[in-house]
Amino acid sequence: MSVTKNNEDNIIFSKIQQIKESAYRFITSIQFTIVLLSLIAVSSIAGTLIKQKAPVEEYLSLYPEGIYRIIQLFGLDDIYHAPWFYALLVLFAINLILCTLRRLSRLIKTKKRIILPEEDDLKNMPVSFTVNGKENQYVVRMLKRRYRATCEETQGAVFEKGRLSQYGSLIIHAGIIITLIGSLTGLLFGYKGFMVLRKGDVKDYLTTGGRHGKIQPLGFSIRCKDFAVTFYPGGEPKDYVTTVEIIENNKRIMEKPIRVNHPLSYRGLRFYQATYGNEANFLFTIGQERVTLREREVYRKGGLSLMVIRFERQIHDFGPGVLVAYLDREEPKTIWFLRDVQRLKEQKVAGIPISFNEVHEDFFTGLEVSRDPGVWIVWTGFASILFGLFANFFIYDRKIYLRNTADGILIAGTCKKNHERFSEEFARIEKEINRDNT
Amino acid sequence: MIIHDKILGIVTLFYLLLFVVHVFYFATRKERVLSFIWAILYITFGLHTVGLLMRWFESYKLNMGHAPLSNFYESLIVYAWSISLIIIVLKKRLLYPVITAGLCLISLGLMAYASLSPSVVHTIQPLIPALQSNWLHIHVITCFLAYAAFAVSFLCGILSLLGWKNFVPPQENLEQINYTSIIIGFPMLSAGILTGAVWAHYAWGSYWSWDPKETWSLITWIIYALILHVRLMKDWQGKRMAFLSIAGFISVIFTYFGVNFILMGLHSYAT
Repeated sequence: MSVTKNNEDNIIFSKIQQIKESAYRFITSIQFTIVLLSLIAVSSIAGTLIKQKAPVEEYLSLYPEGIYRIIQLFGLDDIYHAPWFYALLVLFAINLILCTLRRLSRLIKTKKRIILPEEDDLKNMPVSFTVNGKENQYVVRMLKRRYRATCEETQGAVFEKGRLSQYGSLIIHAGIIITLIGSLTGLLFGYKGFMVLRKGDVKDYLTTGGRHGKIQPLGFSIRCKDFAVTFYPGGEPKDYVTTVEIIENNKRIMEKPIRVNHPLSYRGLRFYQATYGNEANFLFTIGQERVTLREREVYRKGGLSLMVIRFERQIHDFGPGVLVAYLDREEPKTIWFLRDVQRLKEQKVAGIPISFNEVHEDFFTGLEVSRDPGVWIVWTGFASILFGLFANFFIYDRKIYLRNTADGILIAGTCKKNHERFSEEFARIEKEINRDNT
Repeated sequence: MIIHDKILGIVTLFYLLLFVVHVFYFATRKERVLSFIWAILYITFGLHTVGLLMRWFESYKLNMGHAPLSNFYESLIVYAWSISLIIIVLKKRLLYPVITAGLCLISLGLMAYASLSPSVVHTIQPLIPALQSNWLHIHVITCFLAYAAFAVSFLCGILSLLGWKNFVPPQENLEQINYTSIIIGFPMLSAGILTGAVWAHYAWGSYWSWDPKETWSLITWIIYALILHVRLMKDWQGKRMAFLSIAGFISVIFTYFGVNFILMGLHSYAT
């Protein structure tokens, strides 16, 4: 009884073992890589066809409600940040890591031994020739000029070149893994924000993105000293520069310009010139009080409540004007003020004399701020991808064998790819060795 | 002042001439015509290079000096130039006139589209601040060399499917040429994407923001990575390989044109 139970246990155990093994084999297989890459590609295509991160109303105007539900359910409105998309990337990373490790262990195993093949094997190699009447030392010296000797014994020697190419794909894959780790680091420990500064403004915080913008302290202050835009003769913007000062503990640390393509980096934060705009300030005298208002800024005092709802730089030939909305006994009304027309410059609103004195247009600058501690890891990944591509595609591994035989010195060569180029090189070497060294 | 325009006009005619001479070769099959073709090709490439350099030089005269890599017109003529460069680099392998004929036809199409289409702005335009970077040169050149190499691969795929006797090179050689062109194109595309990412980090504040052009370049990259892997690991050949090469190039076309015309994004200055 117990024997059969044990047997059953064993069968179940080996079944589980089998499933485990085949699962492992699948996860580390190239098939799985192909499936994953294809899925990533297809989802990426979907992400360029379906509008991303748009407001709900826009989807509802584009698609029927049922389809919008599906879009929302699978996060298709923000595919590249959807959990399942991250899952695909993680699976891809796991697959890549395992494949790379397997390849690495295989490379280490094959590296151990370099043996000089037998005479017959050498003669069967794609290229070979026999040298007569030359010193062994001389031939070895000639070969060493171009190749590295990896094994030298009394019967002969092995020379190799371009061994690096064997590690090419390994380096590329490692580079991709490093890049993924770097972007994960950025995702976990980095953030992005925005900062709007007017000339003279000092700020010690930024507003992080997203629907609920959060305030994030900088740990130092930044002062907008100046902002300037220059234009080409045709009117296209040529350059925008924000000159900022970094202030820490009430001390001015540095003054630097921030321009497009030239961000400012300070304490792991990067400040990018992202946008700019201009903003008008309106100078009023309300009653006896001097007031500066921006567009849509509400002024409230006593029974009076007003705001500027529209600004025109030029109304016919009369210069700048503003449309002011106010409440007259709970009833909304509007009135135009024109700076340069005396009759319209000073008017009474709800019994209070108001004068529209001046408009100041000030530029404001929009800086994008980001912290990404993973960026150097990503650069390392990029560098190793490029290096690996070079090693893999532009270098090739080849071996030349030298063996002393009864007929003379037998020289033969093999390579795994670029056979044509190798035969040409081998022919050149043959010529060189056979040339009289007088 | 607009010498480059005249030179590039002549270059367009040279591509036409090249195609005509190819047709002449197919009609007569005289080997001497072939060396004539290569001579014209070198002249065309030289003129094309001079045309691009003149445009560069003349942009400095207009006080907005920048390499001719900044708008759609310039990208079209740089693409045609890259194709010629790839032909010359691969000269040893592209000994089949049908392939050079096809490539010259593509170059001719690009040049003709650039100079004839009314929607393509010819004039030298000032460089907007986002493009004022040294990364512009390496990024654009690597991308277009990749696109050019993939055009060769595409042509091999098409020829392999057509299989016309007397015209199409043996299947084996076609596959070899196809593979060689992908070996050039893939590292170039990788370099293009990675330099683009580094540039984006400095210009837009993020090395990857899933901008449609970035995304489509990644899709293209994945397709060619798959091609390399199924060839190496699964020994795919023949028709399947031909279809994959064509699919890869459709993705290239979409990355280049489709994204500009259909999808909007950060890269939209290239329209």
